[in-house]
Amino acid sequence: MISKEVYRILESIVGPEYVSDDPVICEGYRSGPGGYENGLGYERVMTLVPGCVIMPRTTEEVQRIVKVCYRRDIPYVPYSTGFYGPRSHPHVEDALLIDLKRMNDFVLDEKHFYVEVGPGMVYSPIQEECMNHGAYVVIGGGGAQASAIANLIGDGWSPLSHRIGLPHRRILGTEVVMPDGELLRLGSLATDDDPFWGESPGPDLRGLLRGYTGLRGCLGIVTRMAIKTLPFQPERLEPTGVSPDTALALPQNRVKWINFTVPSKEAQVKAMREIGHAEIAGAVTKVPLFWRAIAKAECKEEFWDIWGQETEESIANFFIVRVLLIGFTSEEQMAYDEKVLMDIMEPLGGIARRTKPSDESWIKNADSAGMWLMCGGYVSLDYVIETLTQSIEHGPTYADLKKKYTPPLMPDYGDPGWFQSFELGHQGYSEFLIYWDPDDDTDPVDRFYVDTSKMNIKNRFYTSLLGPHQPLYLTGPKYGPNYHEFLLKVKDEFDPKWMSHPPVPLAHDVFVERAPWMHAMKDWESPDDLPK
Amino acid sequence: MDVKAKLSEIVGTRHVSDDPEVLGKYAADFSYTPPGAPNYLVKPADAGEVSAVLSFCNEHRIPVVPVSSKVHFYGATIPKEGGVLLDMSRMNRILEIDPDNRRVRFEAGVTWDKLTQSLKKKGYRVIMPLTPPAERSVLTDFMEREEPTNQVYDYGEPLEAMEVVWPTGEIFRMGSASVDGYPDSMSKGGNPSGPGLDFYRFFQCAQGTMGVVTWTNLKMESIPRMDKVLFAPMDDLDRAMEFLHRILPRRIGQEVVLLNNVDLAAMLADDGPEDFERLKEQLPPWTLILVVSGLLRRPEEKIAYEENFLAEVLKNEFSDVRLGENLPGFPGLTKKTLPMLREPWPAGKPHWKLRVRGGCQSLQFHTRPMKAQLFVDIVEELAPRYGYPINDIGMYIQPIEHNRACRPEFNFFYDPGDPEEVEAVRALYKEAVTLMLNEGAVFTRPYGDLAPIVYERAASYASHLKRLKKVFDPNHIMNPGNLCF
Repeated sequence: MISKEVYRILESIVGPEYVSDDPVICEGYRSGPGGYENGLGYERVMTLVPGCVIMPRTTEEVQRIVKVCYRRDIPYVPYSTGFYGPRSHPHVEDALLIDLKRMNDFVLDEKHFYVEVGPGMVYSPIQEECMNHGAYVVIGGGGAQASAIANLIGDGWSPLSHRIGLPHRRILGTEVVMPDGELLRLGSLATDDDPFWGESPGPDLRGLLRGYTGLRGCLGIVTRMAIKTLPFQPERLEPTGVSPDTALALPQNRVKWINFTVPSKEAQVKAMREIGHAEIAGAVTKVPLFWRAIAKAECKEEFWDIWGQETEESIANFFIVRVLLIGFTSEEQMAYDEKVLMDIMEPLGGIARRTKPSDESWIKNADSAGMWLMCGGYVSLDYVIETLTQSIEHGPTYADLKKKYTPPLMPDYGDPGWFQSFELGHQGYSEFLIYWDPDDDTDPVDRFYVDTSKMNIKNRFYTSLLGPHQPLYLTGPKYGPNYHEFLLKVKDEFDPKWMSHPPVPLAHDVFVERAPWMHAMKDWESPDDLPK
Repeated sequence: MDVKAKLSEIVGTRHVSDDPEVLGKYAADFSYTPPGAPNYLVKPADAGEVSAVLSFCNEHRIPVVPVSSKVHFYGATIPKEGGVLLDMSRMNRILEIDPDNRRVRFEAGVTWDKLTQSLKKKGYRVIMPLTPPAERSVLTDFMEREEPTNQVYDYGEPLEAMEVVWPTGEIFRMGSASVDGYPDSMSKGGNPSGPGLDFYRFFQCAQGTMGVVTWTNLKMESIPRMDKVLFAPMDDLDRAMEFLHRILPRRIGQEVVLLNNVDLAAMLADDGPEDFERLKEQLPPWTLILVVSGLLRRPEEKIAYEENFLAEVLKNEFSDVRLGENLPGFPGLTKKTLPMLREPWPAGKPHWKLRVRGGCQSLQFHTRPMKAQLFVDIVEELAPRYGYPINDIGMYIQPIEHNRACRPEFNFFYDPGDPEEVEAVRALYKEAVTLMLNEGAVFTRPYGDLAPIVYERAASYASHLKRLKKVFDPNHIMNPGNLCF
């Protein structure tokens, strides 16, 4: 319990209406039901209802709250929109959950292509306003209702990354309340109050914000960030439809999706490489076939009717390349890109299929909601930015391992997931998704998750499942090597009392210790003094 | 303890020296930074040797100054406290060229000359800063965040995964090169980020204070099939910025730079000081140089749509801008300009920054494009107070990220043999920095005199930097006396 004395201090910081230890209010911050990783062992074993919830409005308030916590050894967890489910929730008793939704300031600088936001600001209005002013942003897989800051320090990519690229490069001037309450201002904010530039004097401490994926709030709280936007084409993308069947009607002379079928995986990959080499297109991607069934289905039953018609053979022989053309310069540039695209696709046997003149997902909202349609449980298990060389091999290796865990995982006939080009083909991306029925025994899903790390290590794949996403002492020795030692040294330096979202980044190590069904697969060394 | 004997044991006797004459070559550079010689010169052959040298120096608290280039303008590699100078020039191998992923992996000692020539043979190039000296390390320039002249790629930074040796001697691969067994792995090193933290960020602009980078992966691009170099004489810098703001967000052009008459004259003058003076008088106050290129497919059509767009914009909105294939009065410029933008500055020819008066102090920072003129005004008002003629100030403005930002560079040329002139330029530089900071200039590369001025304004940032540095370099051996360390 947070003491009455501390409670009164917290009230004095934000006002009595924005702090509560009422069990009913705190219950509202329980992880689940529903959502990412819903019902898995990590959620059951590691998450707790907070002891108190506070909603600051300003950076100064966050600083004061964190200093109170640090002085009095109160663990705290920063929380914005909570897409990451269990990983965003308290892992220890009587934690203070700092809900950042009131910090929703939003400034758009049209001329210098950035938006400046607080952690409570979500993508949907950002994208709308950007497009009204000639720019666009990448909405990550968390969807348009995810906090833009949380997304940028966690993940932050989509098919649009074919052109735009790695998310951490779009982080500009940023304010971070460090675990001890000190304010660290990054980029141009380090010397001035103008956030337009991302680099700071000398070594770049943006390196503390995230690795290639995020740290889940264990190294401080970002309270303000300028995010780089990219110049878009000038015509209006008109919203159409009635929720949930909404879309953006595309001006076909300036924005157009074209779906191609090609005869083989080799042709698929060659097409992606050549499109990158030719430096055209706004997105180039191949998504899992079951997404087509999701898009067509109006309900769960209809999904299974459609999906049930597929076979391992039909999956193995389905090759699609989905290309988004954008006329950034002019209609003439759009026509040039289309001619080059056809030059590439024709010799590869690519056939342009009839494609809707609208965007249902990637520009508008990167909608992950449909992922829960089929089974009720979903997680994008691995989402790796590397090269196309790795990306095209990664999915099949995952699919092979998954067979061992199906059921309880959804039968998907060996679908190797999603892969695409990033940064005009300099990089490749692969994402592997899994689905399960939360009413089944999900212990094997927990084991599959950790088993994938072993698979990645064995096959020498890079992976997003590093840092707090997997047992740190499992992955640490095999990447870097020993990146865990350096990460933990940095954590100890800036958060020596481990008050910022404990026991992250060791939470998955702790989970394995606490969950009896995980013990049999623990074949790596970890210290005896893990936080219990 | 016989330091020389121990170092010789690690890298071989031939690759260690304590000869004062040899050490003296590393004691000064093309900046006004006071000389300072190392005690030992060590030339490692690979990461294992770098690791052993750093372990030894860390154990015995001996300063280490890593040096990858032969040409330095900022004083960052001049030893401030003696110690071991780690010359990376033997580590000059191009390790891989991977056309599928348009990636090249090379060691710290690889020069611009070597890399550009090797890639050219295979039809590739890397985007590059303006006129890097041929003997300079490519890796150093990207680690120090030199701005490329090509700003058309939305993804910006070309650096990919790399290997470092921490000050305590551990070899560490970052990003997707961190996988076990790299490069014999499925992962090829395309992603610089991670594992766990974005460690590579700590090495950017670190001036060798955080450890030693041994090799990196870098994006390479195809050499265009066709190019057209366009020039526009400009009197009004604000107008130039408006024009760039209109065209660069539309992804027009490859290389784009804005140079004033002094800098452009210094680059073009091949026939001595008179030629420089003549060009300086005849060139317009500013020249915008824009290269439009046809890439691998349908190159003519690509150039055509860019030119058509430009023609529309010029006709309807910027009829006062005279953008064309020739700069009036300078018919031979096209032929000279493309190599100037695509090739390193030749090794046998004094760098243009040095051939005006022998020395040059560059002042670079980032700002919003519409503030560029304000900074020009500040410098032009300040320079005469230090006896520096306004007409001799070199200016180069690099538009960045579709011209949402820019990097002005002011060049003050001086005679390094004249102590009074050196001191005047130094004083001018320091006051200019202070005034510019007051107006919001962002200095991301605080060398020498600049460091204390900038870090005084960034006290919290400096404090966190010092804490981070302590994590990785507990004995403070890496290039002490630089930045805020």
